[in-house]
Amino acid sequence: MPDMRFAPPNPLRIADRASGLNAPTVRSYNERLVLSLLLQSSGISRLEIGEKTGLSAQTVSVIVRSLEQEALVSKGEAQRGRVGPPTIPLSLNPEGTFSVGVSFGEDATNVALIDFVGKVRYYAAHPYSSLQESSATIAAKIEEGLSTLPPDSRTRVAGIGLAVPDDANTSGQIRKLLGRDLADVQANIERRLGLSVYIQNEITAAAGGESLFGMARSLSDFLFFYLGSRLHSRLILNYQIHSGRSDLSHDVGLLALLQGLKKHGLTLSDIGSTNFPDAAGELYARWQEVCCRRISVSVRSLLSFVNFKSVVLSSYAPPVVAHDLCESLNKELPDISFLLGANSTAPKAIGAASLPYHSRFMVQ
Amino acid sequence: MPMRSVLCFGDSNTHGQIPGRGPLERFDRHTRWPGVLQSELGASWYVIEEGLSGRTTVHDDPIEGAHKNGRTYLRPCAQSHTVLDLVIIMLGTNDLKVRFNKPASEVAMGIGCLIYDLRELAPGPGGSVPEIMIVAPPPILDDVKEWKSIFAGAPEKSRQLALEFEIMADSLGVHFFNAGSVCSCDAADGFHLNAEAHRALGAALAQEIEAIGWPAQERKS
Repeated sequence: MPDMRFAPPNPLRIADRASGLNAPTVRSYNERLVLSLLLQSSGISRLEIGEKTGLSAQTVSVIVRSLEQEALVSKGEAQRGRVGPPTIPLSLNPEGTFSVGVSFGEDATNVALIDFVGKVRYYAAHPYSSLQESSATIAAKIEEGLSTLPPDSRTRVAGIGLAVPDDANTSGQIRKLLGRDLADVQANIERRLGLSVYIQNEITAAAGGESLFGMARSLSDFLFFYLGSRLHSRLILNYQIHSGRSDLSHDVGLLALLQGLKKHGLTLSDIGSTNFPDAAGELYARWQEVCCRRISVSVRSLLSFVNFKSVVLSSYAPPVVAHDLCESLNKELPDISFLLGANSTAPKAIGAASLPYHSRFMVQ
Repeated sequence: MPMRSVLCFGDSNTHGQIPGRGPLERFDRHTRWPGVLQSELGASWYVIEEGLSGRTTVHDDPIEGAHKNGRTYLRPCAQSHTVLDLVIIMLGTNDLKVRFNKPASEVAMGIGCLIYDLRELAPGPGGSVPEIMIVAPPPILDDVKEWKSIFAGAPEKSRQLALEFEIMADSLGVHFFNAGSVCSCDAADGFHLNAEAHRALGAALAQEIEAIGWPAQERKS
């Protein structure tokens, strides 16, 4: 019977020593813990990682070395202190991995490709009228995005995320494009592109995107509103996203505003322009008041149950609209800080793109 | 002023043997990598040199003598120098002598033994296990001059040491550094470090030590 202390080595990390990303299944909890921490606070030292995760210096050393080898983590510029050798801050390598998200809006499907720190590297909106009705079309549009990556980076794609509306909201066009069975769409795209596909409700995905990369990066608890055609909300407690009755939304969104503006022959982008007529101005003010009231009613009623200090408002609306709304909300509820979502290019598509990261690299 | 101690446990390349010269010719303290490490880390660290030419990981050397065995010397050595905050082990080159007939993986097992022994001995603060860093020596050059029969087959094996050591370090959860990433052996004999290599190694290890992260000290004295 050999002394088992001297059994052949069994490495803690299962890092493939070849270059490229490891298989999705092998990432350990501790590796995920370190990656999640680096996503929240970049440029920290191994000492800080140890303090915040409770991992020993030697475990952190093993994990960081493994992540560096995989090029998911990179060393920053050496910081020279008053005495002793320089310290080297660690950050996620933006080029370490990429992800594509697809969302399905009112008139168009959006494709966004993001890097590891959530920066949008490619974005395109494809009107439904320009799309063939099949999942092969979606795969082709994703491929268009992927083809903008340099060939080396192509092997570093973590996966594809689809942000889909709930059935009740699904318009005929989206249903035509996706078909009735999401599992089929998932399998089709996976087969065509050779990448894992993750599917989530679109509002939850947008909230997840803000939580991972956006304004809410360091917030454990916040209330999330998505101002799209309609107004949707999610509650995030301890980094977990909670949806209530998932089809609940309020008809105080941009669609209501747009319909009003149409009567004056205007669109959303006219708001704030110099020739915006007074009548439309009144309409805009009235919409804003209704929307603001709807949000503050939700916030007030939730506050009697749970404690949160921040509300994130995410929207693709013109910045002036989102900004005005945030300002009146701040007046209405001065104790709560209302923040504009950072992923305004395409909140749902970016949220969708964050799904593979959540699943492969982060602590759940 | 509170001070931390690091023990540099190695062979002729820690001793500072000058490449291609006589056995008694040694670089001075400031040129040897532990000396470089000392000046890089500054006065808050006490750098202890323990480099013996011909030292192996765990073998009595039938030619050079039983005292070349790193395992039997590590215990009295580490205990003599307590309290130790960090132990750096850079060994393995001499295990590749043809008389030991060991593959790189077996040399890594020898390193593993030393880690186990240190854990048992616990020469760290308050009887704890100190931080341990395994340093893989830079590969032996293909031309080892008059040493070619003693080191027959060693250059090839030496190129596998870094990976085998890293696997061992990962398994046992200790720090690891590949010296071959910052320096190489000198052509004069093919397996010793020159002054420039000592300089590069000392500076790199200082950064590695800093990167470990040392919480503010509570220990008195």
